[in-house]
Amino acid sequence: MNIPPVEPGTVGPCPVAPDALQGIKRQQTNPARWNGAGWQDFVAAVRAAGVELAEGSTACGMYATDAGGTAYGQPHGVVVARNAGQVSTLLRAAQAHRVPVTVRGGGLTTEGESVAFGGVLLDMSGMSRVLNIDAQNLTVRTEAGIYWHSLAEELRRENLDYLSAPLNLTSSVGGTLGVGGIDVNSARLGCSADQAVSLQVVTPTGEIVECSDDENAELFQRVILGYGQFGVITEATLRIRPYTPLAMHYYYYSSLATAIEDLQMLDRNDASDYSGILTIMDCAVNLLVAFDSDEREAAFKANWEARLRGFGEAGFALCMLGHYALRPWRIGEALYLLQRKQAVFPEFRRPEFHRDGKMHDRSVVFSRAVWKHWGSRQMVIPDLATPADTFIEAVERGNAVCRKYFPHYTLYCVGIKLRPEHKPHYEMSCVPPGAEGWAYGCEFEPMIEGEVYSRDHFQAFKNAIYDIGVDLGASYYRFGGMMKGYIRRVFGDALVDRHLAMKRKADPAMILNRDVIF
Amino acid sequence: MYSSAHSREFPACSGCSLCRLVCPMWRSHRDPRFSPEGLAKALQCGATAAELAAPLDACSFCGACDPVCPERIDLTGMIMELRRQLPQSATTVNVPVPPGPAPAGALLLPGAALRADPALLTRVKGLLGIAVAADDGADIAQALETGGAIDTPRQRAFLRGLDGRTLVVGDALLLRQLRRWLPAARLQGLGEALGNVGVIRRRLASADFYVIEARAYHADYERLVGHYDGLRADTGCAMNLDLQRIAIPAVDEAEARWMLQGRRPARIVVENPAEREILRRVADVPVLHLAELAEA
Ligand SMILES: Cc1cc2nc3c(=O)[nH]c(=O)nc-3n(C[C@H](O)[C@H](O)[C@@H](O)COP(=O)(O)OP(=O)(O)OC[C@H]3O[C@@H](n4cnc5c(N)ncnc54)[C@H](O)[C@@H]3O)c2cc1C
Ligand code: SF4
Ligand code: SF4
Repeated sequence: MNIPPVEPGTVGPCPVAPDALQGIKRQQTNPARWNGAGWQDFVAAVRAAGVELAEGSTACGMYATDAGGTAYGQPHGVVVARNAGQVSTLLRAAQAHRVPVTVRGGGLTTEGESVAFGGVLLDMSGMSRVLNIDAQNLTVRTEAGIYWHSLAEELRRENLDYLSAPLNLTSSVGGTLGVGGIDVNSARLGCSADQAVSLQVVTPTGEIVECSDDENAELFQRVILGYGQFGVITEATLRIRPYTPLAMHYYYYSSLATAIEDLQMLDRNDASDYSGILTIMDCAVNLLVAFDSDEREAAFKANWEARLRGFGEAGFALCMLGHYALRPWRIGEALYLLQRKQAVFPEFRRPEFHRDGKMHDRSVVFSRAVWKHWGSRQMVIPDLATPADTFIEAVERGNAVCRKYFPHYTLYCVGIKLRPEHKPHYEMSCVPPGAEGWAYGCEFEPMIEGEVYSRDHFQAFKNAIYDIGVDLGASYYRFGGMMKGYIRRVFGDALVDRHLAMKRKADPAMILNRDVIF
Repeated sequence: MYSSAHSREFPACSGCSLCRLVCPMWRSHRDPRFSPEGLAKALQCGATAAELAAPLDACSFCGACDPVCPERIDLTGMIMELRRQLPQSATTVNVPVPPGPAPAGALLLPGAALRADPALLTRVKGLLGIAVAADDGADIAQALETGGAIDTPRQRAFLRGLDGRTLVVGDALLLRQLRRWLPAARLQGLGEALGNVGVIRRRLASADFYVIEARAYHADYERLVGHYDGLRADTGCAMNLDLQRIAIPAVDEAEARWMLQGRRPARIVVENPAEREILRRVADVPVLHLAELAEA
């Protein structure tokens, strides 16, 4: 492919043309490194304005990659965010000197979106204080670089909790509001981005603006689920709720499609407070269902449990015993299942997180299981988000792709309740066009298990999953980010060009997170 | 929390940031360079100990980062080693060895903080009913803390006759080190040992706020998380544990305030005498050492 050179101080054309990936097995995620033109003048300007900027590999090296571990790049310098005024000074100077700014929250992207390929990296984790908890109105005002887990720590002291957040402990509020944020209660409470009541945003030209659905609504709509294109989120007001421990139930299926049908049935009927699917193997699918209160649990037991087609643990063990007794040549599979059960199940049952039959601090229990059993130095987590009616097809096709590329993998499926009044927020986002009521997300996660795979292998796998999305007119719930090369293919030129025009207007020098979408 | 087997080193750091969530140094600086992750990543980029002197100095050795690291990096060990490499740390510990062998049976190695309060030491000794070692390795503990070099003959003299015995160790950094040096010894921290004394356990009440000594707890996390969960279930008292069941240390007043934020205890009970003083400065309720409970 002939990639035209980038003019110093300007943003070149997208190196990945809309159709560039067709028939190409591997697409390098790294964009070209910014050439550094005018860097020293920029550094002098920001330092003169009192902004601390660190250079050198000791300061920059820790940002060399993101959780994905496949895209590598380094900034020229790092600024740790301290307040909106400082961020504003930085962005004004960056506009004037045409220096790219990459914002990083928890750095949990997997396609290099929070990796700086030159320019400044703005580390938001320095702005991580809770500013005010309003227990009466159930809202919290917080600096946006805070990790959801740290927010939960503070809320818990007041016996409160956030509504929904990614299950990984170290994603930040700001990073998540721009991406989505799916939890096992999203089928009921929506994605994290829908919990934002208002935001303080520093625009790419350095204005500090408060926005919400009522105030500067257009900016709010673009910043929420906007992948950091239209401003740096410096503070957020979020809805919160009283803390509750959970009563958990697990049902086991040997068919993915049946489990998904049951999941969607529960969601449609508001039968549970938490619901999700986690597969161990194609023939061992776990539907988890949980409740915030005894009343909700009792109502589920009375009205819905009997309609589930899954088994309890003992019933499923018997079922599997029968299955493998008739297929002794598949003993390896049975052993893997057993070994996985022994490794993973105790993690969800640790006594220090259970009291009186209820699980406390579920986000910790789930997240540490995620890091322990699915974490690795390379995290390849492509995903698909579809309307409810095409979800089974998307998942089954994605599952077939996983089977082709890896011996073992896990699928994680959840519903995402949509808020009709938030339709403008959803444009060109993880919410698939055409979804009504609920969108459904499935994440496809290979088990790396100490194996070494080439980047080509990972990339080909991701392409194969993303291609399903293009084919089905789906979106991506951005668990793992979406490869830039797919944006136009998924959303179409007209929509992307409209957003590009808005971006150019808001960010004339195209400095902010410029390699992520456009 | 993921495993007690710490064997890996800084190259294994994946940058997951889980260690930041529990690190008091990170909480006070909110700068990634002041975190175990920042140190590990800087080392991956070839930084020297001298370049990392500020965060190395700011680390309190609370050990909270060790059990949460999914890559099982011995982060406290890494930081201790780096402190040893700092130029100003090149002091050798070599104090006169006390004469005669240590008495037979279980031994209490009180450590500097407990020795500084003779009345409390007498109480602890009475409650545990064990002899106090004349040589409690306080100088070695200090060297571990400051990064000073430890003279090999001095180390040998201190350890002579200790392996295979039951030892209650007041200084938690020394306790951590003794686990490596004395594989056959039965080692306990002061808090764990006193917490198992019936009269103390009975006097802990549900309105108490119990402050676990972070260093001792994190150094033997997998086992002690069960011990303290049992203590909490028996007594009903709240503890200085965060949502991950990691202990928040009262290393300074800011951390002590964070520890107590949103809690309204009637009384605070500490394992570590040094934390008693810091907590007294920020709390408006009585702060007692565990050993003082017996007479409270
Ligand atoms: C192990 C693992 C588990 C995960 N689990 C889940 C899960 O359960 N549910 C789920 O939804 N997702 C999950 N994810 C995905 C991840 O949580 C999301 O991508 C997300 O929440 C990222 O937040 P972050 O703070 O890490 O953002 P980053 O990765 O730092 O940034 C994301 C994007 O937002 C921009 N950005 C960051 N902060 C700001 C800001 N303050 N203002 C403007 N732009 C900003 C960045 O430039 C980047 O483009 C998981 C990822 C991993 C690796
Ligand atoms: S020992 Fe404590 S202060 Fe030091 S790096 Fe680890 S968590 Fe932070
Ligand atoms: S927890 Fe371990 S692997 Fe993760 S950032 Fe910290 S040191 Fe690195």
